[in-house]
Amino acid sequence: MSATMVEGDHEGHGAHLEIPYSQQLRNNRLGLWLFCFSELFLFGGFLMARFYLWRDPATGAIVRPELDQLLGLGTTSVLLVSSLFMALGERAIEQGNRKRFLNSLLVTAALGIAFLVGVVGLEWNAELSPTDGAFGAVFFGMTGLHALHVLSGVILILIVWWNGRQGKFSPEQHWGVEATAIYWHYVDVVWVFFYPALYLIGQAVHV
Amino acid sequence: MNETTTSPYRQIYVVFIALVVLTILEFIVAAYLPSVVFLTLIALAKAGLIVHFFMHIYRLWNNEESH
Repeated sequence: MSATMVEGDHEGHGAHLEIPYSQQLRNNRLGLWLFCFSELFLFGGFLMARFYLWRDPATGAIVRPELDQLLGLGTTSVLLVSSLFMALGERAIEQGNRKRFLNSLLVTAALGIAFLVGVVGLEWNAELSPTDGAFGAVFFGMTGLHALHVLSGVILILIVWWNGRQGKFSPEQHWGVEATAIYWHYVDVVWVFFYPALYLIGQAVHV
Repeated sequence: MNETTTSPYRQIYVVFIALVVLTILEFIVAAYLPSVVFLTLIALAKAGLIVHFFMHIYRLWNNEESH
């Protein structure tokens, strides 16, 4: 067990206060979950905008733009499988299985990139454009914001993978892995709500 | 021996299969019984599974000493 040493005396008497690793871990977890909670307002705002703006002006019924359903299901599946490998990677480092941990992280990053290709590379180049009124603005706002989080998650995973190769994580101490896993799954949770909101709920209308 | 090495991963696979089933159900519900309530409930169930089993939210109030 390691502990962080903190200067505990304002008058420079050299006294040190040790913060136990378990306490650091509790603080870290609380901080990360607060960050996730604060981001809910951002993503929640977009969800509210989607349900407020995507309505038939005549009847008030909820509508959605015509999107490629197979592409939507495909990208959702890719992100779901990436979450599986992230969880497997985290469990592997807990078990001390370094090879499985590193391989799982690489697969997760690759699937994250595949998701980005599906959304940004394919869906963004389909029929809908950002200038298509409320449909375009909300769709590109939601998918763009989410894609940015996926991209930052992929970068985080690759940093953790690199540090893992250097042997910086152990079954006893791997907060970096846990934090990255929480962030990655959080990005997945956001898509769990975005996917039906964008692709499934409401009557499809041609833009 | 085999049980001790595979059981740590078993729960993850079970949760993943549940998520896949819910995603397929979501797709079918949207196609044949488009209901905002059903789709929202399915999304909440999926999110609950991920938050509990993959994000380990319970660790916030459990004092785990390791890692």
